[in-house]
Amino acid sequence: MSSALLKAIALGAVAGIVAGLFGVGGGVIVVPGLVLWLALTQREASGTSTATIVASSAAAMATFGISGSIDWRAAGLVLVGSVVGAWIGAWIAERMNERLLAIAFALVLAIAGIRMVL
Amino acid sequence: MLEIAGLVVLGLVAGIIAAALGLGGGIVFVPVLVVVFGFDQHIAQGTSLAVIFPTAIMATLAHTRMGNVRWQLAIPIGLAGIAGALIGAQVALQLDADLLRRLFGLFLIVLAARMVWHAWRVSDRSAPTPDPS
Repeated sequence: MSSALLKAIALGAVAGIVAGLFGVGGGVIVVPGLVLWLALTQREASGTSTATIVASSAAAMATFGISGSIDWRAAGLVLVGSVVGAWIGAWIAERMNERLLAIAFALVLAIAGIRMVL
Repeated sequence: MLEIAGLVVLGLVAGIIAAALGLGGGIVFVPVLVVVFGFDQHIAQGTSLAVIFPTAIMATLAHTRMGNVRWQLAIPIGLAGIAGALIGAQVALQLDADLLRRLFGLFLIVLAARMVWHAWRVSDRSAPTPDPS
């Protein structure tokens, strides 16, 4: 097997475990992995990562769904908002200082993280 | 009624952050569902996945049209991802909700630290470098 294929399999396995364990997409693992390990551009890494998330999120969602751990009504409502939000976010991204936004968001994440640990 | 509006607003804010910063929505959905809406950790994670799946399909269609998907990598990563996700989800469902919530909190703190470090590094690179001559 080529080393790129081995790297891809290792990356997918780790990202999948994180996605299943924490109920996230796994893009936080796949995107930097593709850029740093497999030398993709940021744009290609984002596109390739979303395709892999279709597969891993389907597997994790099925597992949670079978155990009755999904609130489908809440999911539908959040989905409606996020479709509109993605459109607004793309507009904002071209007009705002991304670094400032990233640092502000990281602070909010850290506060939420600390609250969840305590 | 208030809860319905709140959930739509959560989706809206998460969608904005995801599109503006290139992050997935899951790291926003899960903590907000737990901390603000009082969801059980397992239900929050399952619900997050149920939003991520259709969102990822739509995003993949858009990226495919723009030629941004490298399928020869996406396919092996996705297949290994299915195996990993089945294992990860089984482990999550076996864990006590309190423990899983604490682990998720640690995961968020690590991500936040990485984001700040990354933003710093980018700013160093964009700073004018001294001319060697």
